[in-house]
Amino acid sequence: MRKELEQKFVSDLEQNQNIVHKICRLYTNNQHAHNDLFQEISIQLWKAYPKFRGESKFSTWMYRVALNTAITLYRKSKRIVKTQGFESVSFKIEATDYDDTEEEQLKLLYKAVQHLSDIEKALVFLYLEDKNYKEIASTMGITEVNARVKMNRVKNKLRKILNP
Amino acid sequence: MDQLELLKKDWQNQDSTLPKISKSELSTLIHKKSSSIVKWIFIISLLEFVIPHLIILFTGDNESSKIYEDLGLNSFKLISYVVYYIAIIGFIYLFYKNYKSISANSNPKVLMQNIIKTRKIVKYYIWFNLTMFFIISVVILYKVFDSSLFIDKIPDDVNMIIVWIACLVAITILVVVFWLFYRLIYGILLNKLKGNYEELIDNNVDC
Repeated sequence: MRKELEQKFVSDLEQNQNIVHKICRLYTNNQHAHNDLFQEISIQLWKAYPKFRGESKFSTWMYRVALNTAITLYRKSKRIVKTQGFESVSFKIEATDYDDTEEEQLKLLYKAVQHLSDIEKALVFLYLEDKNYKEIASTMGITEVNARVKMNRVKNKLRKILNP
Repeated sequence: MDQLELLKKDWQNQDSTLPKISKSELSTLIHKKSSSIVKWIFIISLLEFVIPHLIILFTGDNESSKIYEDLGLNSFKLISYVVYYIAIIGFIYLFYKNYKSISANSNPKVLMQNIIKTRKIVKYYIWFNLTMFFIISVVILYKVFDSSLFIDKIPDDVNMIIVWIACLVAITILVVVFWLFYRLIYGILLNKLKGNYEELIDNNVDC
């Protein structure tokens, strides 16, 4: 029974692992930290899985548990050594798709996002994943008004970082 | 904001650059040891419940029983024990109930609320312990200073008010040191969480 559940979970996780990787990219700035957070999120997902009743899509449920782990539960491992800069590992932008200005802009944007707080990153993440305010609000447990106000603040903050 | 739209477009096209972890690797990964903050809170809280009892156990209850008896504090001892153990059972029950409500399935707001609530129970437990310690120390001091053994031994020119003040200051310092030590442990563990919680609920918007 447990084995079956585990198989089903691992297969769901494998199919949706991009969500976890994307959150790790947002919340960490080197490969070691990325792997560490990925591991903790996977453990938390597995622990929470028996209570996942399928009321929402697996991916929607993942957003919640993964963000919970990144914002609240995760204790950074002491082994993390901050060596590599964020550009060198995360967000390898495929340069061929963009002209120089776009590529440059994107680099700056990703860098700006790294300066946001944990909560702001969560909001930006859900926004980038194309979630509407209702979904953002319910995933985070806040009101829709709060989600809108916060998102506007984040946009302003990003604007300030980009155009000081 | 055009720039954010540009970011969104790029974000949604990044799948090919993301690592791919196989099913067998994932199977191994999920059985590794978690370093979750909740686990630490549970371990530390448990120690906080157990340590005072270990101290009583190892400091020899027989000796303290004799002191209580000599000072005529037997009924006080009985009452304080009853109060103490009823309170502890209550605290452990509340702690366990709240601890069980911590689940990564809840939304971040509820999750953080539940963690803070669970910690509050232990905070009250620590307050309760320190208050009990203060009260018991003061009662024992009072009885000691009042006992004929003590009165016979001290010189006549000793000002008892100064002795009292010195003892109370010493006890208070001890209580404060315990309290600071406790705050330090949880400051390290919970500061980030509390900061995130306050940022998330944002009282200015969510009233």
